[in-house]
Amino acid sequence: MGKILMKGCEAIAEAAVLGGCRFYAGYPITPQNELPEYMSVRLPEVGGDFVQGESEVASINMVYGAATVGTRAMTSSSSPGIALKSEGISYLSGANLPALIVNVSRGGPGLGTIQPAQSDYLQATKAMGHGGFRMIVFAPYSLQEAVDLTYNAFDYAERDRNPVLILIDGALGSIKELVELPPMKELPTEQAKWQLGNPTGEKRVARMLTSIYPEAGLETLNRTKGEMAVAWGENDVMVEEFLLDDAEYVVVAYGIAARVAKEAITGLREKGVKIGMIRPITLFPFPKGSFRKLDYGKVKAFIDIEMTVPAQMRDDIALEVLDRAPIYEYGRSGGVLLDDDGVLEAIEKVLEGEA
Amino acid sequence: MEQLYKRPKCIQPMQSGYCPGCLHSLATRITAEVVEELEQQNNCILVLPVGCSTMGLLYWKIDMVGSAHGRAPAVATGVKRCSKNSLVFTYQGDGDLAAIGLAEILSAANRGENYTVLFANNSIYGMTGGQMAPTTLEGQKSTTTQKGRDPLTTGYPMRMCELIATLDAPKYVARFSLHDPANVRKAKAGIKKAFETQLAGGGFTFVELMINCPTNWGLTPLDSLTYMVENTIPVFPLGVYKDVEV
Amino acid sequence: MKNTLLVGGSGGQGVMSVGTMLAESAAENGKYATFMPVYGPEQRGGSARCTVIISDDEIMSPLPKKVKTLIAMNEQSYKKFINELEEGGILVMNSSRVTSTVAREDIRIVSLPADDIALETGNIRNANIVMIGAYLASTGAMDPAEFMKSLEHKFKNKPEVIEQNRKALDKGAEIGKQTS
Repeated sequence: MGKILMKGCEAIAEAAVLGGCRFYAGYPITPQNELPEYMSVRLPEVGGDFVQGESEVASINMVYGAATVGTRAMTSSSSPGIALKSEGISYLSGANLPALIVNVSRGGPGLGTIQPAQSDYLQATKAMGHGGFRMIVFAPYSLQEAVDLTYNAFDYAERDRNPVLILIDGALGSIKELVELPPMKELPTEQAKWQLGNPTGEKRVARMLTSIYPEAGLETLNRTKGEMAVAWGENDVMVEEFLLDDAEYVVVAYGIAARVAKEAITGLREKGVKIGMIRPITLFPFPKGSFRKLDYGKVKAFIDIEMTVPAQMRDDIALEVLDRAPIYEYGRSGGVLLDDDGVLEAIEKVLEGEA
Repeated sequence: MEQLYKRPKCIQPMQSGYCPGCLHSLATRITAEVVEELEQQNNCILVLPVGCSTMGLLYWKIDMVGSAHGRAPAVATGVKRCSKNSLVFTYQGDGDLAAIGLAEILSAANRGENYTVLFANNSIYGMTGGQMAPTTLEGQKSTTTQKGRDPLTTGYPMRMCELIATLDAPKYVARFSLHDPANVRKAKAGIKKAFETQLAGGGFTFVELMINCPTNWGLTPLDSLTYMVENTIPVFPLGVYKDVEV
Repeated sequence: MKNTLLVGGSGGQGVMSVGTMLAESAAENGKYATFMPVYGPEQRGGSARCTVIISDDEIMSPLPKKVKTLIAMNEQSYKKFINELEEGGILVMNSSRVTSTVAREDIRIVSLPADDIALETGNIRNANIVMIGAYLASTGAMDPAEFMKSLEHKFKNKPEVIEQNRKALDKGAEIGKQTS
């Protein structure tokens, strides 16, 4: 299949269906309404089910229900709506259930703005809900990458029996660009081992899925989930290391910000500036290794570029960089978008020692 | 000798942890009997909420999922939509269903989800220690209405069957009581009818079961049954509120 | 080559649809394209804008601070976006609706009465197509004939729509070529 022009939200929705999603529940919120709208048409075509929930809270719990019977289920929302879903996401993790959550983020806090922003990094990577669970967070920067990551997201979710988050901003959700869609995945023929319901009527012990753990069970769960997150750091990190070999200046950016930064970096390279970029594709697990292997004798400064103010990824960068080089930050927020000139000027300030 | 009365096989062989005289046990038992009479013990999924009813997780021997407080109807929506041949039911208390979960129950009922909600109404939050519920009677004492519920500041008892029966989609909506054997038999028949309606693909069914809470009402089990007859049932009239042929 | 375009107008002038068609057509013709709408709470009648980038190479930033071409469909969008046009850029201006005198002297101006032309060629709603004709011919972002092919494909069951569009596009392109 050739490349076609698709809108961000629709490309993600289609990729999820191709990746096996057969249930979607969600509640309208800008800027991600094209995702449920697309699903309302598409899922019935493949024998799936779409429900417009009465709230974000209800929707995430519908996803939880669908996951208990082994169906690949997802929901999407935007920042304030994701906050409402956070309890349910915690329950998913607590009950060892897979699901796909998509946050097409907008500016905050509060009702904030419907315009794009990258203001949910801390929520996504540190505490997507109560109780100290973690989840893999993918942050694509192009629609092709969004399609590819979404397509495989259920594989991670089912492997770990844990929800997976895809985090993009409203700009990537609304943009139209070229994507190549993968083929429809074959759905697993065997029942999931946690699957409730017994369509074949086989004799088996009754199953229970819950996130309530009397006594010692919960500590065991906490340990297991903790070890799982450590293993992600060893096996599942995804990162783009762009022109780092001789880099004296290292930009750190993800998602839409990384695209704008890449344009600036390419321009500066043409002028002979030794600059590169670490672009986390998984925000969690964070690509620590990319920072550890840098030659700190060469690196003069880091520039954290995010479409939020103040920068939220900075603490993760600082934990790796320590005091070996200064970290500068540049961002726009509140629905004001980053732009080419602004990012270039911010980097040039650092180069000229004026930051 | 013929055995007339035995423990349903889909209930664990253990003593119930519900308080002495609590009708949650009886509600569980008659539901289990219906499940077995319909031969659904290998084909059902019970969605349990938060409250005393959560303890069902310990007693049942069928597939179960525990959900967040008030969200059982949303969870059951996801379950049933993706497992259309299973008998799916929730068993929720009044704080769970009529307060925190009001949006979920009314919306699921309004969508006509094809599952059954069993609603145990004892006019109080049991598990958390006896706070006022939306179903607490006027003047009834609770730990958060220590002088008795005052409608001027806390409103009136909320009647869920009556609310749900106003919606177009639900197929069967009825309220029963478990305070005496004759009513228990009626309640069991009501649960059976609801399950059969669901299995026939009929749509949303809602069965309210009036029960007691001797512990938090501060009454002996026997006195609590008298209290139900004299006080609770007059406020929550028993009967079938909606019965649509499917 | 990379061309950045901002289309501005009022809701109902076909800003979003023409931006999408342009991006789709570029993609069909083997180019890279991005279409970035600006969404807002106003569903109808408010101001509408989108940015379209057409490029021979993969497009990195979809968020240029300034664009090479501005299509101003009406007075309001002209005023709002004229300073987002880069030095040496091209303003394609619908003189049926833009009444201001252009003060900037560092830009090239392609001025055409798109509403009137659209009316003459059969449908006032094709003013956006007239403007695209002028844009393509004056910038060389893409061959207008290639864009026309996409329109033919899109409206393949509506020959009368194709004809109206062809006339509108040709007329716009004719004026655009004169000023290129």
